[in-house]
Amino acid sequence: MKKWVVLLLSVVLVPSAFASDLALAKKEGKANFYANITAVEPIMQAFTSAKGVEGVYVRVSTAKYLATVLTEFEAGKLQADLLQGPLPILEMLKGKGVLTPYRSPSAAGYPAWARKDDTIMQFGIEYVAVIYNKDLVKPKDVPTRYMDLTNPKWRDKIVMPDPSSHATTITWLVGLKEAKVFPSDKAWMDFVEGLAANRPMFVKSFSPTPGPVESGEKLLAISMPKYIITHAPAPLDWARTGTLLGTPRGVAIAAKAPHPNAARLFMDYWLSKDAMKLLADKVGEYVLAPGVYPPIDGIAKAKVVPIRELSDAEIRSWGEKFKKIFFAR
Amino acid sequence: MGNKSALTPILIVIVGFLTISPVLMLIFGSFSEGFGTFSGFTLSKYVEAYTDPELSAVLLNTLVFTLGSAAVATALALFLSYMYTRTNIPFKFFFGVISIIPMMIPHILFSISWVLLLNPSNGILNRYLMELFELKKAFFDIYSLPGMILVEGLLDLPVSYLIIAPAMSAFDVSLEESSRVCGAGTLRTFTRVTLPVLRPAILASVILVVVRCLASFSVPSVIGMPGRIYVLATHIYRIISTGFSADYGKAAAVGMSALAAAILLIYLYRYLTSESDRYVTISSRGFKPAIIDLKGSKYPLLGFVGLISFVLIVLPVLVLFYTSMLPYVMVPSAKAFSLMSWRNWLEVLEDPISLLALKNSVMLGLVGATLGVILSIFVSYVIVKVRTRAAGVLESLSFLSFSFPGMVIGIGFMWFFVRTPLYATIWALLIGYIAVYLPYGIRPLSSAFVQIHSHLEESSKVCGASSFTTMRRIVIPLLIPGILSGWILMASIFMRELTVSVVLSRPGSEVLAVQILRFSEDGLWGRLSALGIIMILISSALVTAASFLGKTLAKGRSPAE
Amino acid sequence: MEIRIKGLTRDYSSGGKGIRALDHIDLTIPANRIFTLLGPSGCGKTTLLRCIVGLESPDSGEIAIGDDVVFSRERNIFVPPEKRGLGMVFQTYAIWPHMTVFDNVAYPLKSRKVPMEEIRTRVARFLDFVQLTGFENRPSTKLSGGQQQRVALARALVAEPKVILFDEPLSNLDAKLREETRKELRSFLTRLKITAVYVTHDRVEALALSDRIAVMRAGGIIEVGDPKKIYFRSDSRFVADFIGRANLIKGKVVALEGAHGIIDTDIGAIAGLNNQNIAPGRNAMLCVRPEFIRLTTSGVTEGRNVFRGKVETLLFIGEAYEGEIRIGDTRITTTVPPTVDAVEGGDIQISFDADHCFLLPA
Repeated sequence: MKKWVVLLLSVVLVPSAFASDLALAKKEGKANFYANITAVEPIMQAFTSAKGVEGVYVRVSTAKYLATVLTEFEAGKLQADLLQGPLPILEMLKGKGVLTPYRSPSAAGYPAWARKDDTIMQFGIEYVAVIYNKDLVKPKDVPTRYMDLTNPKWRDKIVMPDPSSHATTITWLVGLKEAKVFPSDKAWMDFVEGLAANRPMFVKSFSPTPGPVESGEKLLAISMPKYIITHAPAPLDWARTGTLLGTPRGVAIAAKAPHPNAARLFMDYWLSKDAMKLLADKVGEYVLAPGVYPPIDGIAKAKVVPIRELSDAEIRSWGEKFKKIFFAR
Repeated sequence: MGNKSALTPILIVIVGFLTISPVLMLIFGSFSEGFGTFSGFTLSKYVEAYTDPELSAVLLNTLVFTLGSAAVATALALFLSYMYTRTNIPFKFFFGVISIIPMMIPHILFSISWVLLLNPSNGILNRYLMELFELKKAFFDIYSLPGMILVEGLLDLPVSYLIIAPAMSAFDVSLEESSRVCGAGTLRTFTRVTLPVLRPAILASVILVVVRCLASFSVPSVIGMPGRIYVLATHIYRIISTGFSADYGKAAAVGMSALAAAILLIYLYRYLTSESDRYVTISSRGFKPAIIDLKGSKYPLLGFVGLISFVLIVLPVLVLFYTSMLPYVMVPSAKAFSLMSWRNWLEVLEDPISLLALKNSVMLGLVGATLGVILSIFVSYVIVKVRTRAAGVLESLSFLSFSFPGMVIGIGFMWFFVRTPLYATIWALLIGYIAVYLPYGIRPLSSAFVQIHSHLEESSKVCGASSFTTMRRIVIPLLIPGILSGWILMASIFMRELTVSVVLSRPGSEVLAVQILRFSEDGLWGRLSALGIIMILISSALVTAASFLGKTLAKGRSPAE
Repeated sequence: MEIRIKGLTRDYSSGGKGIRALDHIDLTIPANRIFTLLGPSGCGKTTLLRCIVGLESPDSGEIAIGDDVVFSRERNIFVPPEKRGLGMVFQTYAIWPHMTVFDNVAYPLKSRKVPMEEIRTRVARFLDFVQLTGFENRPSTKLSGGQQQRVALARALVAEPKVILFDEPLSNLDAKLREETRKELRSFLTRLKITAVYVTHDRVEALALSDRIAVMRAGGIIEVGDPKKIYFRSDSRFVADFIGRANLIKGKVVALEGAHGIIDTDIGAIAGLNNQNIAPGRNAMLCVRPEFIRLTTSGVTEGRNVFRGKVETLLFIGEAYEGEIRIGDTRITTTVPPTVDAVEGGDIQISFDADHCFLLPA
C-alpha cells in the first residue's frame, strides 16, 4: 500500500516539477541516447517534435558497447545521457559507476521485476523464437514444440547464430533449461544434441538469420519475431512452440550526463505508452508497458519470459560446452 | 641536399604517430587486466589466446585462405593486365573497368551476392547449373575454403591489378623475345623470364593481399562461418562476442600474430627485392612495348575474359541491383518480378542520414586520398631511393595498423583518439583512414619510384636543380601513373571504409559503410543494395574522372610525347 | 648458312590505317658473311630482321635458312623463333636482370637441354671469347654498357647458331666505346665465320663492319653491294646521299669518254664515272664526296674538274674543317684539312678526279 501512496503523491507532485524540468531540458537542447536497439528513429523523431528537445540516436553494436562506453567514460568523454542495452551490459556499467539512479513516473504499471532496480529500468525483452518461411513450410509441418526442431526432416534446413560464441543464443539455450521448458534436463540435452545433429547453418548473430529463410535457402531460423514486422512483406511467421524466452533490454541515465534534465525527460518519454507502442508497432519489439504488444499474430497471447542473466564466465563455459556438441565432427 | 637527411626522421615521426599510437594502445590493452588500456599488468591474455587448442586449426585455415586469395587475385591481375597492356585484344577499356569494380563494392554486399548465387541449397547459379547438367548435388558450395578464396580473391583483384598493371606496361618486351630466340618456348619464357622480372610487383601484390586478407572480416563471417571455417578474424570475433564484456585485450593478443606475420612479410619482401637496381625498366629512352597480335585467338580469348568478368563481377553486381528492387530476398520467380519496385531506392534517397553519410564519404574520399597520396609520395621516395635502415623502419611502420585485424585496430584508434580533442569528429576518421590505408598509397608509388632510373634524377641535379625541384619537375611527372593508382585505391577504399568508421563514426560523422552495416544488421537487404549501388556509381565516377585527369596530365608533361 | 627471302610482305594496321612495312622483299643473304641492312628509321629493316628470326610473321612470301624453309605463307609454314636455331643481339641487349652473367649466357644451352658439364665449358669458352672471364657470378645489373653488350653477344653465340642477328646493338653505347666495339665485333665475327645479319641506321657502322650492305627505304631494298660499291659507285641517288655526305650537282650528260661521262652543270662541265651508262642528252646528277675534293688557295691549276669559288663558311670539327664553298649559286661541301690556310670569305680553288665522282640518273 505504501508504494501506491508514494506513487500517487508523485503523480500529483510531478506536474509542477515537470514544468521546470522541461524548461531546463529545452535549455540543454538535446539528449544523447546510446543504444544497441535498432530502428528507433521514429521514436527519436516523435520525441523531438513532442518535447522540443532533440533526441540523438547513437547506435553502438553489442560487441563494441562496453568497450566504447568504458573507453569514453574513463577518458571523461562519455557523451551519453542515456544508455540502452542488454541487461547484463547495463549491470556491468552500473558496477563501474557509469549509471545514476532515476525512477521514472512513466514506469508505473510495468511488471515489478522490470523495475526492481532504481537505476536500470527494464522495458522490453529481446525475444527469441523459431521463424519459418510460410510459403515453403506446410502448416502441418510447422513445429509446435521446441523438440520438433530435432526432427531429421529439418536436417540442413535451419539457420541460427553460432551457439559457441553468440552470447544471446548461448543464454537462450541455457534459458530453455532453466525455465523448465523441457520436462527434464535430459530432455533438454536431447533437444540440444538433436538440434546439433540437424547441422544448422551458423551465422554471426541474429540479424543475418531471417535472410536465408526469406530467400528459401533455409526453412527455419532460430531468430526473433520482430523481423516479421521489419522484414514485411517477407513470408515469415513464428512457430508456436510454447514459452518464448529472451534477454531483458534495459535503459538507464548516465551518472555524468551532459544533459541531465533532457535525459530524464527522454527517459519519461521512452517508457511512456506512446513510445512503447511505436517500438512495438514499427520495430516489432516485445515491450513491458502494460497492454502494448507488437502487431504480430498471436504474440499478445504468448508467454514471454526473461532469462536469468548469465555472467560472462558462465557464457564462456556454456559456449565451450555447446562448441563440443555443435561442432562435433 | 641538406633537407634529404631531415626528411626521413620527419616522416618517421609523422607515420609513426599515425600508426604506432593505436597499435601501442592495443599492446597495452593486451597486457592489461581490465578492458581499458591502463590497468594491472597480466600475461594471462596471451596465455589464454595461445593455448587455445583450436588456434592451430584456425591458423592453418588462415594460411590457406590468405595465400589462396593472394594467388587468385595476383594470377587474375597478371592475366588481365597482360591482356590489357601486351596484346591487341579488343575492348581494352573494359579490362581496366572490370578489374577495378570489385574495389568499389562493399565487401559484405559482394559476399552476400555470392551466397545468393552459389549457396548449396538454392543458389541461383547452382540451381541453373544443376538443371543444365542434371546434377544431383549443388555444383559448388560457396560455404567452403575454395568459396572464401574465390570471393576474397576477387575482392582483392583491384589491389593486385593496380600494382601489377603499371609494371607490366613498363616491361621491356625484348627480354622475352631474346628468350624465345635463345630456344625457350612460350611457357619456359613465361616462367623463366616474364615472372621473375615481374617479381617485385608480384611479391608486392601477394604481400598486400595476404595482409589485407588477414584483416578481412566480411568474407570470413558471411561465407566462412556458415561453412564452419574459422580464420583469424572470425576467431577474434568469437573471442569478442562470447560474453557481453568483449575482451579486446585478448583479441589484440591474438591480433599480434597477424601483426608479426605482416612485419615478417615486409622484411622478406625487402630482402627479396633488395637490389632495386635490378628491376629498373624505364630509362630516358622513349620506349613502347610491342603489342602481341593475338590473331585467331583474339575473339576466343575475349570471349573467355568476357565470360569470367561476367560471372565474377557483373553477375554479383546484377544480383545487387535485383535485390535492390525487391521488398525482401527471394530467388528469381514470377512473384519476385511482380513485386519489384523502386521503393528501396526512394527510401534511401529520402533518408537524411544516408544522404549525410554520402556527403561525408565523398568528402573523406576526396580529401583523404589526396592527403594520403601526398604523404605516400614522400614516404615511398625515402623507402625506395634513400634505402637506409631508417627507411626500412619507415616501411614497416607504414604497415603497422594496416596489418592488424580490422575489428581490433578500430578499438585501438578509439583508445587513442579518445585522448585527443579529435574524438567523435570527422577528422578522427580522416586521420584513421590515412593511417590504416597508407600502404595502398605507398605500394604503387614505390613500384613507380623503383622504375625511375636514378640517372634521370642525377641528370637533373647536375643541371643545378635542388632536391625539391628535382621532385617536382622530373620525378612527379614520371610518377603520375603511380600517383593515379594510389589515389584511386585510397579514394575508393575511403568511400567504403568500415572497420575504422564503425568505431569512430558518431552522429554527424556518419559514413556510407556504417550506414550499409546498419542496413545489414537490420536485414534490410533491399536498401542495403540500393545504397551499395549508389556508392559503386559515385566511386566509379570519381575513378573515371581521376583516370582521365591523370592521363591528360601525363600527356601534357611527359617528355616522350 | 644462306638466307633466301622471296616476296616477303608485312602489313601493319595502326589507327585504322594500313602501313606496308615490307613490300615484296626478294633478298639472298650470303653464308658466313656479315650482311647489313641499312636504312633510315621506319624503312622496315628491323621488321625484316624480326621476320627472319621469327618474332614477327609476314603476310606473304617465303624465308629459307639454309635448306630449311622457316616461313612460307603459301605452304602455311611458320617455325617459331625458339626452333629456328638462331642467335640475336637486341638493341637493349635484353640481358635478364634477375640472372647472373653465367645464367644469362647458359640460358640458350639450358633451353636446349645440354648437359651441365658441357654448359660450363661452353659458357667459359664464350666468356673468354668476349673477354669476360671472371665475370660469371656478377649480377647482370652490375655491368657496364659495353660489358652487357658482350654478354649479349656471348649469349647469342653460345649455342653455335646457324645465323646471328644484330638489331642496332651499338646504338646505346657512347661514341668512343662504339668505335672500339665495332672493331672488336668485326674481328669476332670474321674469326667465327658465321652468317651475321646486322641492322643499323648508322652508315659508318655499316661501312666499317659489313661484307655486304643492303640499303632499304620504305619497305623495299634499294641497292645491295659491298661497302665500296655502295659508297663509291652507288646506283641510286638515295643511297649515294644516305651512305655518306655527298655533293649532288644537277646537269645534262653531253658526251662520253670511255668509262667517264661529261655532264654540263651550272658550274661548268664535269667528268665523272658513268657506271650506269647514261646516254648523252639525258638529265643526270654528279655525285662527289667532300673528302675527295682537293683545295688550294694559291697557284692556279688548269684542267678538268677544277673550279674557283669563295669560302662561305668554315666549321672546325676536330680532325679537319667542314667547309662550304660557293661557286656561283652552287654550294659544295668539302673537308678542309688544317694544312690548307683557307679563311671565310677568301677565294679558293677546288678540284677532284674524274675517277672519284660518278654520275647518277636524275
